Amino acid sequence: MPSSTTDHASRRVIGARAALIWGVIATVLVTVASVGVFLVAPEDADQGAIQRIFYFHVAIALVSLVAFAVACVAGILFLRTRKLRWDDVSVTAVRIGILFSVLVIITGSIWAKASWGTWWVWADPRLVTYLIVVLIYAAYFVLRSSVDDDRRLRFSAIYAVVGFVSVPLSFYSVRVAQSFVHPVVFTSGGANMPNSMLIWFLISLAAMLALFIALLEVELVGRRTERALRALTLRLESS
Amino acid sequence: MTGGNQYVVAAYAVIWFLVLAYVVMLGARTARVGRQVEAITRMLDRKAAESDTPEGDDG
Repeated sequence: MPSSTTDHASRRVIGARAALIWGVIATVLVTVASVGVFLVAPEDADQGAIQRIFYFHVAIALVSLVAFAVACVAGILFLRTRKLRWDDVSVTAVRIGILFSVLVIITGSIWAKASWGTWWVWADPRLVTYLIVVLIYAAYFVLRSSVDDDRRLRFSAIYAVVGFVSVPLSFYSVRVAQSFVHPVVFTSGGANMPNSMLIWFLISLAAMLALFIALLEVELVGRRTERALRALTLRLESS
Repeated sequence: MTGGNQYVVAAYAVIWFLVLAYVVMLGARTARVGRQVEAITRMLDRKAAESDTPEGDDG
């Protein structure tokens, strides 16, 4: 194979450029958002400094749901096309979604302790339904590790699609059941906050979205490279 | 530092620590891939050396 063709194939397999670009964008946005949240955003008249947890807490929560949506779409695409790249996207999105969900639960508990005086409120539908979503997606990896190779990809894709049903249930249960203690900031009437806070929330949301895409791209590069190396090793050993 | 600020710092420290830990985990995977590339390179070098050796040239 000509070297130029090999180089082109390597670039296509690895695709590291997108990961690098998104990594830079995420780093810049997270830095800007952090500076803005701590130094520029006005202090909330009601909650004081504690309210600053809101910016990243809610942004990470929304992006965790986006991650599970990406896993669902990638699962559907895998079932339709049987292309490994969609299984890679699905499993990686679930993994990052779990990471973000853990961050949401920890930061939410810290905020709850500071604001309500307790780490967790079992009677609140938003907290409990979100925890159920996290446990459903944690079970995804149990399923994935317990099924043999032939069925693993198909079952994982089906689970990613079916599991996503829990996401809108969690999102809307709050509005239907009237959350007891957890505030609902965004309603059909808009955001319940001044523009000077909203702008830093939107920047934080963009930062978390960029971080999700960057981590997704880096993980996908790793998975593609490992697979290419395994194939290459097998070819070398058999030649 | 007031009580409220302590909670804010704790929350953001958790976020940055866990994200950093995840990035370190990805870095460890990259290092492992690098070691695999080195192993393949050594395998290729060995095969190239074997093919360069003339047939019957064993003393």
